[in-house]
Amino acid sequence: MISKGLRWLRGGRSVSQRFPEGLAPWRVVGASITGSSHQRFGEPCQDAAGWALGPERSLIVAVADGAGSAKLGGEGARLAISTAIDHLTGRRSLGSGESHEKDLIAALERARSALASEAEDRGVDIRELATTLILLQATHDSVTALQVGDGSAVIEDNQNGITGLTKPQVGEYVNETIFITAEDAMDRVETTTHLGAPSGGAVFSDGLQLLALKMPEATPHPPFFEPLLRFVSTATDAQTTGEELRSFLASPRVTSQTTDDLTLVLFSRDDNLAANQDRSG
Amino acid sequence: MAEAPRLEDAVEFAENPEPRCPCVLLLDTSGSMQGAPIEALNRGLKTFKDDLMRDPVAPKRVEVAIVTFDNEITVVQDFITADRFEAPTLECQGMTHMAAGINTALDLVQARKERYNESGVPYYRPWVFMITDGRPQGEMPDFVDLAAQRIQEEEATKRVVFFGVGVEGADIPLLSEIVVRTPMRLRGLNFNELFVWLSRSMHAVSDSKVGEAVALQPPGWTVPD
Repeated sequence: MISKGLRWLRGGRSVSQRFPEGLAPWRVVGASITGSSHQRFGEPCQDAAGWALGPERSLIVAVADGAGSAKLGGEGARLAISTAIDHLTGRRSLGSGESHEKDLIAALERARSALASEAEDRGVDIRELATTLILLQATHDSVTALQVGDGSAVIEDNQNGITGLTKPQVGEYVNETIFITAEDAMDRVETTTHLGAPSGGAVFSDGLQLLALKMPEATPHPPFFEPLLRFVSTATDAQTTGEELRSFLASPRVTSQTTDDLTLVLFSRDDNLAANQDRSG
Repeated sequence: MAEAPRLEDAVEFAENPEPRCPCVLLLDTSGSMQGAPIEALNRGLKTFKDDLMRDPVAPKRVEVAIVTFDNEITVVQDFITADRFEAPTLECQGMTHMAAGINTALDLVQARKERYNESGVPYYRPWVFMITDGRPQGEMPDFVDLAAQRIQEEEATKRVVFFGVGVEGADIPLLSEIVVRTPMRLRGLNFNELFVWLSRSMHAVSDSKVGEAVALQPPGWTVPD
């Protein structure tokens, strides 16, 4: 069950779409690649990402990283994303600003129930479907994000430049994190709302953490994001843009730093796109 | 439109210290290891180094320390990244002061974590990999019990992952009372394969994300019980 508007990203493929297309006023480009460590051990990519246009031309982005130690982590990640996005795109309206965080939490709850029934159907422990989840909703005047686990969401606006919306949730050990399948996940979920018109942003899985964030504070490293956000804001063709992002993630400069699965979704807002959108139907 | 620079050239990375993946080899060098066993172990250590160097990230991430136990406890090598590690040639003599060795290994791990924390270096859960061909010898039973208790506590609080490997002649039932995880039994003197497995497991750990357990390749160098 996948909603019509959902753009999928998984297993090392980039999505093919043309700008401007149904997402106006947003340009979105994402890529997900299987880390070399997973390739070596013959494991599939356990990251997943998706995005869709929500009510009132808001943008919904979701990134999930299935647990490497869970047998079905990749499937858990994809199911969490499709369920959460279905829920968020199915709303009639955005409601007031105060409801945005609650809506993301409700989407997380849906995703958790979907994983629980999936585990039951398959007769497996829900931990086999363990995954992290980041949800982001951007509107014309605010951005709300929810996170369980690692990875991060950052945004850019004209006043403050690039700032972090969420931070990776890690334990003592660098590879330890929280999954939405954990019993206490609802107590550990973090939500943030940024008020102000976003010009762009990024959501990414933990594979990029050490390259994109200054640790241990986990603040975004602007020289990492600025070229990427410029790249998406000037993109004209989604397919070549997706391919270029993918080859960046697969380039030796990146893969010599990390061998984990990598997922990066970039977006920018361009109000001129909306006008074109109306023409192209 | 002017050609935009390739992303690869335009994007700059944050400079963060490489996360570290500490591993203590806790090795029995008592008299009974004399001859073929210690020679095989020494060759295995060289294989360990070579195999770690084959990985793109392990040489900078995996930190190796070596503690030997016989009549004495010796820190042959304090933690050092795999790229700077040189395999030592170990010699053997005397009794099997295993419990004291366990304490030294766990102290070393604790001290290392403090160093990491002071310098803001992210790290993985440390491993202690104990290899023995015998049982504690020349130590009071209470002292051995305390060491076993310490392993239990540190495993329960996820401070360390402690593996026990028995070479032929090892008292496996007793070993399984000391370590929490089921001890593994080395097939013959297959140290080479053991260290290749350990190195691969460290590769897996050093770029993994684990929830509960480390997804390891099944060891091919063990004999079933």
